[in-house]
Amino acid sequence: MTDPTFRAGFDATLETAINTALRYDPGSRQRLARLAGKVLAVNLTAPTLSLFLVIDDEDGEEGGYIEVHSRWSGEVTTELSGSALAFIQLLRNRDATPAKLGVTVRGSSALLAELQSILRDLDIDWEEPLAKLIGDSPAHQLGTGVRLAASWLKDALGAAPRATAEAVSEEWRMTPPQAQFEAFAEDVAAFAQGVDRLEARLALLKSKLDARGKN
Amino acid sequence: MTERKTTHFGYQQVPVEEKAGRVADVFHSVAARYDVMNDLMSGGIHRLWKRFTIELSAARPGQTILDIAGGTGDLTARFSRIVGPTGKVVLADINASMLKVGRDRLLDRGIAGNVETVQADAQYLPFPDNTFDCITIAFGLRNVTDKDLALRSMLRVLKPGGRLLVLEFSKPESKLLEKVYDQYSFRLLPFMGKLVADDADSYRYLAESIRMHPDQETLKGMMSEAGFVDCEFHNMTGGIVALHKGIKP
Repeated sequence: MTDPTFRAGFDATLETAINTALRYDPGSRQRLARLAGKVLAVNLTAPTLSLFLVIDDEDGEEGGYIEVHSRWSGEVTTELSGSALAFIQLLRNRDATPAKLGVTVRGSSALLAELQSILRDLDIDWEEPLAKLIGDSPAHQLGTGVRLAASWLKDALGAAPRATAEAVSEEWRMTPPQAQFEAFAEDVAAFAQGVDRLEARLALLKSKLDARGKN
Repeated sequence: MTERKTTHFGYQQVPVEEKAGRVADVFHSVAARYDVMNDLMSGGIHRLWKRFTIELSAARPGQTILDIAGGTGDLTARFSRIVGPTGKVVLADINASMLKVGRDRLLDRGIAGNVETVQADAQYLPFPDNTFDCITIAFGLRNVTDKDLALRSMLRVLKPGGRLLVLEFSKPESKLLEKVYDQYSFRLLPFMGKLVADDADSYRYLAESIRMHPDQETLKGMMSEAGFVDCEFHNMTGGIVALHKGIKP
């Protein structure tokens, strides 16, 4: 068994990270406070890990916050099970649904929908903590710079996989071009359908012959 | 001539009736800087040990919880939130200085309403039978003069099915870790005590009392002997600390 200290450390770090981020988005904290008392159980299948996110609103400050637990003996509002990759997709992709990604949902799906909505609308004002450290004006300058850099990085990262894929197929000819591959895949599918049809016809023919033999 | 019964106080043997007073002096001395020293001595890891204790307590809203040797109220604060307005947490400590620091800290954090503070000796708990759903004693049992008596007292005030959690320093699992830990405890710890709290002796006592405390299996046996069932322990940070759990049948 893993040393419980490590697991407690993981839970504490996750809890601090979530609540620190929430502190700089009062709107999301207000929405979260309305879900106080609800518990989301997350069972990751790959890697294997279970955690319970307990929503509370009695922190002495305005708005809700989240406690992370490795065990929970009370009621669970919603339980989700699936791989870590599927959960990341679920959080990132606006159109993703648990069913599409193979994530099993037990209990109330309303809590999941509301949490997804809060996460997608999360707008953390990073300038606020910065301003406390270095003052309003430098924080704004830095914030603008960081936003520009982040936007460039997002574009660059978004374009990178496409550029790499083009280089691999078009320039280096290591993989077939997409159109060629798709045509090949369609041919394979048509061939497979043809074989299936032939198999069905043969089976029908065989059953007719068998029936005639008996008569 | 009759021989006086003695017990250990760190590595010294002292008359049984003197131990409580000597332990009290140590904690009167360290109370004001107890939290700072805890963070410094454990590198903040004591918070993770306590966090795991809370997880294993399975505390729920509406329950009644006793935090013995609750010191500065770390566990009480967390329990207070879990049991909510319908539950109750009793913060108990034998030492008035520690209790005062704990009570003030809880009030400063706005924790009130479902918390009571009681100055009590773990050996003679001043509560009716079958009162609590859960009892925790974190880093307190090794300072109790008669541990068996204290365990029986805790069993008495627990409700049937209630659980006792003992968080305490214990014996490291590996020899190498034990050596490193010894060097740390007997060289660095008193030095830090001197530097931060200007009190090397108290911190030397803390290190010695840890070595005199029963190891994991012995404490588990003592809990079974006292009447607890389903006794088990979880080693943490290589056995430097262990969390023992027992259920009142």
